[in-house]
Amino acid sequence: MKILCAIGIRGGSQLVQRVLEVTGPAHELHLLHVIDVGPRHTLEHLLHGPRHRSPAPPPPLGQPPPPGRHPPPPPEHERRISEAEESSAAAALEEARLEAERAGFRCHLHSASGRPEQLVVATAEQLGCQLIVIRASEGGEGTPRLGPASVGHTARFVLDHAPCDVLLVRAQ
Amino acid sequence: MARTLLGASIFGATLLAIMVRPYRIPEAVAAALGAVAMLATGIVPIADGARVLGRQLNVYGFFLGLMTISAIADQAGIFTALAGGAGRWAKGSSRRLLVATFAIGTVITAFLSNDATALILTPAVFALVTRLRLPVLPYMFACTFIADTASFLLPVSNPINILILDGLGGGLETFLRFLLLPALLCIGLNLGAFLFLFRADLRQGYQLADLPSTEPPHIPFFRATLTVLAITAVAFVLATSLEAPVAIVALGGAGLLLVAAVVYGQLRWERLRREISWSLFVFITGMFLVVRGVENLGLTREFGSGLVALAGQSPLRASLLTAIGSALGANLINNVPMALVMVSALRSIGTTSSSHEGLIYAAMYGCDLGPNLTTVGSLATMLWLLILRRKGLEVSSVQYFKLGIALVPVMLLLGSVLLWLRW
Repeated sequence: MKILCAIGIRGGSQLVQRVLEVTGPAHELHLLHVIDVGPRHTLEHLLHGPRHRSPAPPPPLGQPPPPGRHPPPPPEHERRISEAEESSAAAALEEARLEAERAGFRCHLHSASGRPEQLVVATAEQLGCQLIVIRASEGGEGTPRLGPASVGHTARFVLDHAPCDVLLVRAQ
Repeated sequence: MARTLLGASIFGATLLAIMVRPYRIPEAVAAALGAVAMLATGIVPIADGARVLGRQLNVYGFFLGLMTISAIADQAGIFTALAGGAGRWAKGSSRRLLVATFAIGTVITAFLSNDATALILTPAVFALVTRLRLPVLPYMFACTFIADTASFLLPVSNPINILILDGLGGGLETFLRFLLLPALLCIGLNLGAFLFLFRADLRQGYQLADLPSTEPPHIPFFRATLTVLAITAVAFVLATSLEAPVAIVALGGAGLLLVAAVVYGQLRWERLRREISWSLFVFITGMFLVVRGVENLGLTREFGSGLVALAGQSPLRASLLTAIGSALGANLINNVPMALVMVSALRSIGTTSSSHEGLIYAAMYGCDLGPNLTTVGSLATMLWLLILRRKGLEVSSVQYFKLGIALVPVMLLLGSVLLWLRW
């Protein structure tokens, strides 16, 4: 069985652990981490939306800014942000991979950038997975364990649109 | 009468264009068109216009100097180093990191003004927090909020303050007498509210090992920059205390940094040119002339009298009205025209008597805090978009709005009361 594990920024190793417990050995494991572009867009929005004394045309809401409409953020900061995103993505995937390896599993690593919920579903479709495994929410210890608030919007989207079965892993 | 109507229409149309931005025209273009209209119709005679602009050299110089200083300090790695320092100081605690972010934001805003914090510190903190695998929203909002909340700590913390002080007079001592307490109150409120509202996000910690190296690219240049910044900060305090033009300090500091950058071979002209917002100068020039137009027509005097009448005999009501009105205006339209209108109105009702002196600071307070209400640009844009039901209104904009709506009215209320108590 091909299994797609949606690895979040944290908790990847717990997720893999859980998968192995539930599904047992001898499966093809795909680990996917999506770099969420949402916060980056928010940052662009905060910086280049009309900051009241730095007039610059704001990008149309919900879309990336059209090129050439306003000065891009300093390349230095762009670079640092991209590096930061990539490094944290790599760390998240590495944690999960180590857990899989410990159990003697081989796994395939995937990294992407975009809207996590959409890319998880698309990747599952692309790879022809029979199962998607996803944590209920990325929230920390403060998140409620039960009820609608315990399932984040990414998990909910995947539940609604997955082309296959979904294993929703709740926090221990 | 016809002229008054014409002038009012040009004013209204300019503000509307800035608020709504038809055809996505930049604010600078809207302001420039308004100014041209005022000049063409003779409401602002050319000589008068030139005189008005000539009186504002301090503001122009201040903006230019400050933007240059911030840009070069950024190139020297000051902001990244500060963010990294916060990461080390907080020792793995997200809460401490948020407190540190607020502290750095406060200091930077106080001496380098709010745009430095909002535009340069925010991405630096974003990169750091991403690397630490923490939720970024609390820290990003912390930077953008504190930029405005701390912007009335010192006269130089917000160019709007300089704009108002230049128009109405006032030095460091009076400024602090009125605004220090409200400023400290607002900063405390802001920090406390954020620690509470984001408490769920702040529960997880981070590994110190994940901290990036924030070594500046060139250490001697870094040290030189720090020295110049310290000198500039002290000079700002001195200049405002003596009511000397702050543009001299700003341009002086910028000049010193440019020299240092050239000497150490660290100057990146392209980057510097790009990071200075040139359209801003067009925008404020346009606004100076447009507001001069309505001033010449006596409209701002009417507005000032109206304010006094509404305030009646109650200084508290006057304080509240001015602060809240300025905040709404600053957010609805833009804080530059709002500040200019307030300056003109207050000047027309005479600011020598002590009851009106407090109004200067109430106006400043409102104009500085106003932008925190929404980040979508302005309340007007947001309402407009909601009315049009444009899909894709970023969730974060709504979140920011909720934060602003929760915090800013409280700050305005408490601050106005404090201001009133100082009269």
